[in-house]
Amino acid sequence: MSIMQTLVQTAARFKPDADPDPLIASKKYVGRALDRVDGRLKVTGGARFTAEYAPDDMVYAAPVFSTIAKGKVRRLDTAAAESSPGVIAVITPKNMPRLVTPSLTDFAKLDKIAASNLPVLQDDSVHWNGQVIAVVIAETHEQAQEAAARVRADYDADEGMVSFERNKDKAIMPKDVLGEPPEIKIGDAEKNLKSAPVQVDATYRSPYYNHSAIEPHATIAYWEGDDRLYVFDSTQWVEGYRNSLAHVFALNRENIRVMAPFVGGGFGGKAGFWWNTILCAAAAKMVGRPVKLALSREGVFRIVGGRTVAEQRVALGATREGKLTALIHTGLTVTPDHARYAEQCTFPTRHLYATEALHVAQYVVNLDMVANTWMRAPGESIGTFAVESALDELAVELRMDPIELRRKVEPARDPTKDTEFSSRNLIEAYERGAAEFNWSSRNLQPRSRRDGAWLVGHGVATAYYPALRFPGGARVRLEADGTAIVQAAANEMGMGVATGQLQHAADRLGLPLHCVEFDYGDSHLPTSPMAGGSCQTLSILAATRATVEKLHRELLKLEQKDSASPLKGAKYEDLVARDNGLFLASEPSRGVSYVEILRKAGKPYLEVEGVSSAPMEMMKYSMASYGAQFCEVRVNETTGEVRVARWLGSFDCGTVLNPKTAMSQLRGGIVMGIGMALTEEMLVDGRSGRIMNRSLAGYHVPVNLDVPRIDVLFNDIPDPQTALGAHGIGEIGITGVAAAIANAVYNATGKRVRDLPITLDKLL
Amino acid sequence: MLYTCPNRPKCHVSRPLNAMPISISDPATLVFQLNGEAVSIPASCSPQTTLLDFLRARGLTGAKEGCAEGECGACTVVMVRDLDGRTVYRPVNSCLMFLPMAAGQEVYTVEALAASGSLHPVQQSMVDHGGSQCGYCTPGFVMSLFAEHYRPGRGDGACDPHSMGGNLCRCTGYRPIRDAALALTAAPPDAFSRRLDAPAPPITAIASAHFSRPATLDDCLAILARDPDARIVSGGTDLGVESNLLGRAFPHLVSVEAIPDLRIFHETAREIEIGAALTLSEIEAAWKTAPAAFTEWLDLFASPLIRNRATLGGNLATASPIGDGAPFLLALDAAVRIAGASGTRTVPLHEFFLDYRKTALARAEILVSIVIPKPVPPIVFYKVAKRRLDDISTIAAAFSITLGAASRVTAARLAYGGVAPVPLRCIQAEDILTGSTWNRRAVQQACAAIAATLRPISDHRGSAEYRLALAQSLLEKFFYECSEAAE
Repeated sequence: MSIMQTLVQTAARFKPDADPDPLIASKKYVGRALDRVDGRLKVTGGARFTAEYAPDDMVYAAPVFSTIAKGKVRRLDTAAAESSPGVIAVITPKNMPRLVTPSLTDFAKLDKIAASNLPVLQDDSVHWNGQVIAVVIAETHEQAQEAAARVRADYDADEGMVSFERNKDKAIMPKDVLGEPPEIKIGDAEKNLKSAPVQVDATYRSPYYNHSAIEPHATIAYWEGDDRLYVFDSTQWVEGYRNSLAHVFALNRENIRVMAPFVGGGFGGKAGFWWNTILCAAAAKMVGRPVKLALSREGVFRIVGGRTVAEQRVALGATREGKLTALIHTGLTVTPDHARYAEQCTFPTRHLYATEALHVAQYVVNLDMVANTWMRAPGESIGTFAVESALDELAVELRMDPIELRRKVEPARDPTKDTEFSSRNLIEAYERGAAEFNWSSRNLQPRSRRDGAWLVGHGVATAYYPALRFPGGARVRLEADGTAIVQAAANEMGMGVATGQLQHAADRLGLPLHCVEFDYGDSHLPTSPMAGGSCQTLSILAATRATVEKLHRELLKLEQKDSASPLKGAKYEDLVARDNGLFLASEPSRGVSYVEILRKAGKPYLEVEGVSSAPMEMMKYSMASYGAQFCEVRVNETTGEVRVARWLGSFDCGTVLNPKTAMSQLRGGIVMGIGMALTEEMLVDGRSGRIMNRSLAGYHVPVNLDVPRIDVLFNDIPDPQTALGAHGIGEIGITGVAAAIANAVYNATGKRVRDLPITLDKLL
Repeated sequence: MLYTCPNRPKCHVSRPLNAMPISISDPATLVFQLNGEAVSIPASCSPQTTLLDFLRARGLTGAKEGCAEGECGACTVVMVRDLDGRTVYRPVNSCLMFLPMAAGQEVYTVEALAASGSLHPVQQSMVDHGGSQCGYCTPGFVMSLFAEHYRPGRGDGACDPHSMGGNLCRCTGYRPIRDAALALTAAPPDAFSRRLDAPAPPITAIASAHFSRPATLDDCLAILARDPDARIVSGGTDLGVESNLLGRAFPHLVSVEAIPDLRIFHETAREIEIGAALTLSEIEAAWKTAPAAFTEWLDLFASPLIRNRATLGGNLATASPIGDGAPFLLALDAAVRIAGASGTRTVPLHEFFLDYRKTALARAEILVSIVIPKPVPPIVFYKVAKRRLDDISTIAAAFSITLGAASRVTAARLAYGGVAPVPLRCIQAEDILTGSTWNRRAVQQACAAIAATLRPISDHRGSAEYRLALAQSLLEKFFYECSEAAE
């Protein structure tokens, strides 16, 4: 940690708390299960996704992928492609515009966001199997595809490092993990482990995973002159893409506009800045026409990385009463040197449980692979699989109910950060969940319940994801007719951002819902953080809160120019916004409507821009969402097939803005966790580094029938440190799921599977 | 509530999406009905342009590409088809339909549903229950559910969520979509209902350079004899994937959808004859005396969207070692009728598969029908796969054991897929069982013979050892299930 960071953190601890958001008590629309605002557009096919825009004269780009993992393209034969019908150009390193090399995400600044820092098609080198080595531009999509298939490449192949198994011995400790130290030691955990009366020491493995959003990545780019670039992109972060494009094309940020009206799912796969966007913009520059580059499903698998393979050791030392004396969690993941992203698998262990001694450490092995990246709850998803499986193993050793064990290890303070928790009600989530799930009827003894050929088991695990907020901006414009527009660059991938923010804005402004608009998905709007890390909702709430405060202060100033104003002499702190205007909190009948204020001031509208403060609360407190995942699985004794029969997720994630959209987010996360546990796995050829199952027929996301009834409970306890007391909820649903299933499979069969996915053959 | 659809950028969107990627050189045009209007397609178009690309090029972007291989269902549209004498809406994967296949047909996309301005009940239910999240898969779910909503004989209760088994969603966790289906009641007496009172369009003949749809078997055989490059296609659920994903070119596709001989369903006292070009859905509707295992087998075979286009003939002629059609039919002792220039011959199915993807079909021959002898013996079908539906088998097995007096086995059929280069019967094990008493010892002996016969491979779906162990334990499972049933 830098001296500066240390100083800021120390200062943050002494900063007095702000008062909890008063709107927590007086919310009207927030907390209601309203329909999502874009539902109608989506069911009619009227929602326009990136690939569905059609600027005049648009042409189509199709990439050519390398078939080796490492080496050089010795010869690229593009003659057949160039003479193919409709072809306008074939882009190779020879004629590719010279570009600045993209910069990897810097977590101190978090403005540029490239997933890989390789030069983009600037030379003949190949760094992963599937890298783009040429791009064909043609009049139609089919012509581009057909010509791309005619490009022939000869390679000078080097022996790449592609096998995880064979290169584990070359692991190194990264300099940092998302800006946090790669290793933390408290006491001597190994020593404590050796002397502990009860010990668990196991290795947990998980494969490569792919986001598999149903919309494949797409970009449309066009230029105005040499220095103005417009881009539609299926991105999770319009502003990060704009900044990255400005960097790569050496343009002013103001000259670039990135727009993402609707995004067909992202899950982290559309957050990093990938080659397709850069190549599309470069192609548009080259041919002087708008270009569309819509990746095929295979294209997504080839050039957009997913979640790393991981091998994690968790060792627990405990007293017979279930107190932890040692907690060791080390993780080995893959990242190529050009991505340098060590997936933060040990992060949950840093904040979850009380232990006398702790050791967490992360290692990476640099392979010649497509850049790995964030995928839903990066770190926490696979990290909770390891640590929550290990806790279950400890509960088995102790012959203790696993929920009882969670009670024994519940900490009073954050174990590594050494701060208080802003709001932590994990045990309450367990207890509410246990009652609803009828956990008490579970049998501690494995293999003790069956239904015909099916062995039945029950499992639990903790869900965990930090509550992150980034500073951001918003613009609020109040019209003379008393309606308002809230604007933020934000992205909506279906999470419910637009709906939730409208509910918030209406309450914050004291307006009926139909009088408020929310405008987003455009880098020209006030700055927002990425739709990732479950941070966007919380960040925009804080920015809107700050901006509406600014608006109200300005309105008060305007109003008080009128000497007969009912708000004469009032201070901002005395006011509440309700019933389309501002009123005195102490005297509810005294107030004035927005329409009246603007009318008297002779203003057609009032527009203010505001920004939220630096997230000092995140330094002062340990802030996170928690949950308890309960499940029932059935394992067929003959075939080893695993069916998830019942699910309950009980979550502690602050104030819930909209239970309808929130439940959908959490269920979706749980289903992705079921896929992670049972069916999903990216298979990499250990010789060539080629991803073998590059399609939805080969990469198995769960289908409707794989999914049981999923119930979701909320504690709905506000976090006093956040706007509305809310937390982001996009990631937490997937955390703990794989462990809950593995734990239930153990309970059903007596067999502990530590190697995901839990496929049939591992159970026979 | 106001809501700004963020179509803010002032880009010059002045025409529908890309112009049709088809060169018009043939004056003769093909026509189909799209959302109630006649639409022309050039007869000389590339036969491999998909219906999906055609729709999107016309600006109908509700149907979307998620996978281009019939896995995700984002491209779902409905066709008006005849099903066992009734007019129905059939949802299909438009990404796997070559455009000329739509000629003479009637297609509806999601854009047609709320054309009047108010949401269709199916759409309204999806909105009310939060059935969309990112929205990319939503139009596909809506169209599957739309077809289910108007299914004749469905009654006025809830719609069956299984009707959306061919649609993938990565966001919602499916529950809100299921709820939307379960909340629906009777279909309204609207224009869509009334459409079903009239007959579905017939499947007409087409003759063009690259795509032929002959109306008779003789015409078809003549084309095959004349053109060595001709490739037979029916639903296109296999060739469509080859075209979209592997970039295979088919200079001349010959559709068998319009040949009456291939679309028969005859049941006599001696046999059941199923036309090779009947879709799985059509067989399901026609085969009223099918054993219970048949319905289970259909569900496992493929998603509803695929079943609405895929044919049994195609599944057998493709000769995939992991296809689910063959083991089931092998256990029923089925045979295939093959037509060629010199006439028709019948080949027992267990002699039909010669080697990996090689069958007894000679050049210019065509699979006409599948014949199942009667009485249809008791049969069970097992498919072991990672995912419950829409998955390729790790191993598939079909068993039929007929018992005589004193539990003596009078006939045994043990058929497998996924354990050898071809789907096969384990005849050695069958011989051991036949004549023996149906008991644990006989089953164990049969299992030993299974181990000696099968040659499974290891791949990402399972190791050779696992497959072999499964092949044996499935027979044991079958034995125990029989014993339990007997008790």
